Amino acid sequence: MSSIKIAYKTSLGKFDLDVEFEIPGKGISVLFGPSGSGKSSVLNHLAGLDDQSKTQYSKLELNDVVYDDLENNIKLNPWQRKIAYVFQDNRLFPNMTVQRNIYFGHKRRQSTLDVNEVVEKFKIKDLLDRYPDQLSGGQKQRVSMVRALLSNPELLIMDEPLAALDYQSREELLPYIECIHKELTIPIIYVSHDIKEVLRLADYIVVMNQGKVIDKGELAELCINQPLLTQAEGASFILQGEVEKIFSEEMLLQINCENQSIYITGKDADPGDALRILIHAKDVSLCLSPAGDSSILNCIPVVVDSIKDKSNGKYEVIAKLGEQLIVSMISYRSAKALGLEKGKSIFAQFKATAMIK
Amino acid sequence: MMEMAPILVTLKLASITTGILLLLGTPLAWWLSQTKNKFKTTLESVVALPLVLPPTVLGFYLLMALSPNGFVGSMWAYVSDSPLSFSFTGLVIGSVIYSMPFVVQPLQASFEMVGKPIQQAAYSLGANRFDTFKNVVLPLSMRGFLVAITLGFAHTVGEFGVVLMIGGNIPEVTQVLSIVIYDHVEVLEYQQAHAYSAGLLAFSFIVLFITYSLNKKLMVRL
Repeated sequence: MSSIKIAYKTSLGKFDLDVEFEIPGKGISVLFGPSGSGKSSVLNHLAGLDDQSKTQYSKLELNDVVYDDLENNIKLNPWQRKIAYVFQDNRLFPNMTVQRNIYFGHKRRQSTLDVNEVVEKFKIKDLLDRYPDQLSGGQKQRVSMVRALLSNPELLIMDEPLAALDYQSREELLPYIECIHKELTIPIIYVSHDIKEVLRLADYIVVMNQGKVIDKGELAELCINQPLLTQAEGASFILQGEVEKIFSEEMLLQINCENQSIYITGKDADPGDALRILIHAKDVSLCLSPAGDSSILNCIPVVVDSIKDKSNGKYEVIAKLGEQLIVSMISYRSAKALGLEKGKSIFAQFKATAMIK
Repeated sequence: MMEMAPILVTLKLASITTGILLLLGTPLAWWLSQTKNKFKTTLESVVALPLVLPPTVLGFYLLMALSPNGFVGSMWAYVSDSPLSFSFTGLVIGSVIYSMPFVVQPLQASFEMVGKPIQQAAYSLGANRFDTFKNVVLPLSMRGFLVAITLGFAHTVGEFGVVLMIGGNIPEVTQVLSIVIYDHVEVLEYQQAHAYSAGLLAFSFIVLFITYSLNKKLMVRL
């Protein structure tokens, strides 16, 4: 499978940026970290827009094509890279209509994408004759995504595309970003310092701080023990599933997750929607048999996978629900009482938590 | 009686000068707007010199340079039979230098206004440097060009000192409007001086008025 290999070392003034990582050639990979940790500098480097005179080391490979290699004096010009950039400040051409904006890259890169299809998908058909100054912030960003997509990229990079927008517009735009990687299968590198965006969008995460990569991995793995992600809530995990039924008067959604039914509070969904649910390990309890008469709605069979002593009177128990992971924090005493060991079939109970998608 | 010749010479001089300045000034202004070269400030200062120098100083050095013994003049003598000083060509060279800042400065300012970010967007969409300049920067700099053309043209029409120093006063060749007015005043022909002056005043006002109207129209979109 294709992948994107990045190694980059440069001076950012206050500190040195020194990163080396590889990300999968599909899905959404999020560069996550506090503001000023060097995330945007990495993106500019990918796009070939950085100041090469300060570069100490660089190597960039996209689908086995070398884009950068300082040692061998290779640096493709920005316009030679099949990387499209969605900027935080949209950067639409103010003197061109939406139509001319989205054709700018399309004309130059001989895109095979069907313009009409993308225009329909992003619902910008009615905007084609308008100028950027006649669009709302959310519409501008939608147009700029279409413009980037139509330039036929092998990689789409997005620099906090939602950061300059209000809450409403953000919520509106997120589904479009999900649509890019689901329906158009273009890998995305997404820079963000917003934990909610990360949990909702990320498949793979690279955590950065002070110009260094401090952690990387699949979202599910990192949620368990990357403090920058879990923050005050402690270890967490994510369950992914599909909406099966909606009980609107009870404001409850029934989710199919690995052929088990999970109930969560919510109503803004349609059957068939893919959902992610974030659950904190401290909210999960384990038992040997399904509890019939409890206020806790969710009780699903899982298989213990690993038990880690956190040396604070608690064990971190990781159990498997099909291919997905469930994490629970339980006391030494409970663990002993349950007789937990790897491979044991038990039940996990947790409350109907709010969904993140 | 008003003669047409000085008017035609003036318009011809201003048109040719503006044309040459656009050809020379555009790349120069572009370079100045993009470069971080240490000589940028030096070059900017040189370009701006005609703004502060008395025209006589500039005219004096131009006269030295353009004369058959001067640096430029002697080279010109190799390729052409005619001398540079007191010729229309010499007048064009002088005007180009004298009006340079009026074209380069507005262009540079408008290129800087377009800014790096929008160019980077064009690059990332597959447009190379020239493509980006032609299809993104130029259309976004229309107001800068409008101002540059107007100021370059009008300033050349209004020039006096440099022309007097290097062009002389040869009717139908180098005799421009401003000089003719001066001549008439010298011999107390106020009637004629008045005719030309009023014409020039009206002309200048109309040119500026049209420019500012166009500018306003362009502003709506940009």
